Amino acid sequence: MRFFDLVGLILYNLNRRKGRVALTAVGVIIGTAAVVVLVSLAAGLQKNATSQLYGISDLTNIEVYPGYSMGDSQGMAVAVGGGGGKQMPDMQLLTPSTISDIEAIPGVKQVIPQDYLQLGIDMVYGKLHSYGNVIGLDTDDLSNMGLTASQGVTSLAKGTIVIGSWVTRNFYDPKARPNDPPVEPPDLLGQSVKFVLSKWSADGVEVKKTVTLKVVGVLNETRGMSDGSIYLPLSEVTAWNEWSRGTRINRNKEGYSMLNVRAESVDVTTDIADAINALGYQANTPQSYVEGINSFFMVLQVIFGGVGAIALLVAAIGIANTMTMAILERTREIGLMKAVGATNKDVLSIFLGEAAGIGFLGGLGGVLIGWGGSAILNVVALSYYASQVSQQGGLVPSMATSTPFWLPVFALGFATVIGLLSGLYPALHAASLVPVNALKYE
Amino acid sequence: MPKEFAVELQDLRKVYPMGDTEVVALDNVNLQIEKGSFTVVMGPSGSGKSTLLYLIGGLDWPTSGMIKVWDAVVDRMDENTLANFRRNRVGFIFQSFNLLATMPADENVAFPMRFSGAKPAERVMRSRALLEQVGLGDRALHKPTELSGGQQQRVAIARALIHDPPLILADEPTGNLDSTSGYSIMQLLSELHKTGKTVLVVTHDSRMQQFATNTIYLLDGRIVTPEEFKNATDVSRLEKQTQEG
Repeated sequence: MRFFDLVGLILYNLNRRKGRVALTAVGVIIGTAAVVVLVSLAAGLQKNATSQLYGISDLTNIEVYPGYSMGDSQGMAVAVGGGGGKQMPDMQLLTPSTISDIEAIPGVKQVIPQDYLQLGIDMVYGKLHSYGNVIGLDTDDLSNMGLTASQGVTSLAKGTIVIGSWVTRNFYDPKARPNDPPVEPPDLLGQSVKFVLSKWSADGVEVKKTVTLKVVGVLNETRGMSDGSIYLPLSEVTAWNEWSRGTRINRNKEGYSMLNVRAESVDVTTDIADAINALGYQANTPQSYVEGINSFFMVLQVIFGGVGAIALLVAAIGIANTMTMAILERTREIGLMKAVGATNKDVLSIFLGEAAGIGFLGGLGGVLIGWGGSAILNVVALSYYASQVSQQGGLVPSMATSTPFWLPVFALGFATVIGLLSGLYPALHAASLVPVNALKYE
Repeated sequence: MPKEFAVELQDLRKVYPMGDTEVVALDNVNLQIEKGSFTVVMGPSGSGKSTLLYLIGGLDWPTSGMIKVWDAVVDRMDENTLANFRRNRVGFIFQSFNLLATMPADENVAFPMRFSGAKPAERVMRSRALLEQVGLGDRALHKPTELSGGQQQRVAIARALIHDPPLILADEPTGNLDSTSGYSIMQLLSELHKTGKTVLVVTHDSRMQQFATNTIYLLDGRIVTPEEFKNATDVSRLEKQTQEG
């Protein structure tokens, strides 16, 4: 039997039992649509999670903290690191020689040392006060950190600061009464802001120092750490820290509290992080979080896909039932086919083909409905999220569902194979019928 | 000149298991059918005459014995060879026509060609020609439900001829027809015989004998003489009468 004839006969047979084929295919449609929608949903959640992570920090950045041969937690590194921190005996410090070591790793574009302010500050603008996370970076331009300005510039210079997008929102009036309207965030670009530094001398007296700095840039919102940060040149922060403790900081002996290692591309980020870890430091990259989250969502996709697959399994039983009934009804026809020269293989192929055909048709419908359903769900869910966000604040997700390009193809193939497998037993039964018994079947 | 046989049967035996017992459908049948003959097999129900036909046509397997059709030993064939044999060497005609209800007459006639890979144009040509031959040239596009019983059987006969087999096997071809259309089917089979086909017909209908070149009588799975057959059927008729009386 030629392939063309086989396909023709299969289509003919499916066509003459439209109603039953349609009903059976509905089961497959539901199953396939469930697979497509659920997996799209999981993929959408994943994209959301990772895209928000991209916001927190770009993926070419690696944060390096001092290492401990004892294997202490890295949280300790943040607490004790920095210019003023006490050294632990077996600590791998982030010294200038570390920087040159890391710079030698292939794929590293730049190493930017970072330090935090070790003393309390008050930020004053007119009668308003604010606070912020003061970060000193040893670079002359924040664009090296992947940051961009919404107003002004990103360059760091002595006597100037660049602030994150939310810093102005933190301003408050300490003398405000409870019923006063909230403070309008001031426009700080080009304005001078006073920083009041305070420390406690050995005899318990508070010593204050006021520094006036000019705001030269406001950063774009990153939805990450930079939004609440105030950026200064590292030398400035170092000077303040030295003033606070009264002695000079020797980077060769005390190291930096942290290094920002900039990778040339996302692809090499994890390799660089591994290389830095191998040198004995603690390297953290958002890329590794992203990978962890990705693998979590892969599991979620498999689970969601599995739920849909159960629906498909039920549909498979429906196909098997339909085919078994069809073969009972068409027993005489099978006898006739054999009498006029059909081989067992021909009969097997015809009934397998019909079962696979039902699976394929159901899969096709399911993919289309699942695709459409995902798109509708996207719109509905996003408007729901948007209303939630407007009431409670937070971030509006960019998508609820996302259909990977392979999913419809896979779902269609899967439904077809399921149909084929469900038809296997009935088709084998049909093929092995003794012609004379089939012809005499009532 | 020695006679050439279309069908040769040697010690043919067919036994059906029926629960604990066995039913002997054919009991050591030896038979030779000449090429180009019109043979009628007569016998009451359960005499094994249909079994004989299906065994010759390769639609069933004998319990023992040999079946030879032309040069082919049917009982030794594997499944694919057998399918090929059924497709090209024999044409079956059934009591209940076995037409596909959803297909028009011409497609029913060409149906076997779906398994032989004939070209579409050839199928149309051949099926139309055969419908013409059986007198249904104007009914090619009618579905079986739109045809009378006699017309349906003509379609079935055309289908049996699609691969031009030398042997036609007919199982009670007039059994589902009224006497007039039954008679015309007999005439059609006779015409086929005259074109050179070997025709083997299993039937109850004694009118068929007038077209036959020879008649075989079957009783309880055995070939009997016309006299034995007559006596046996007379006796049974007698018994029937006494029961009714």
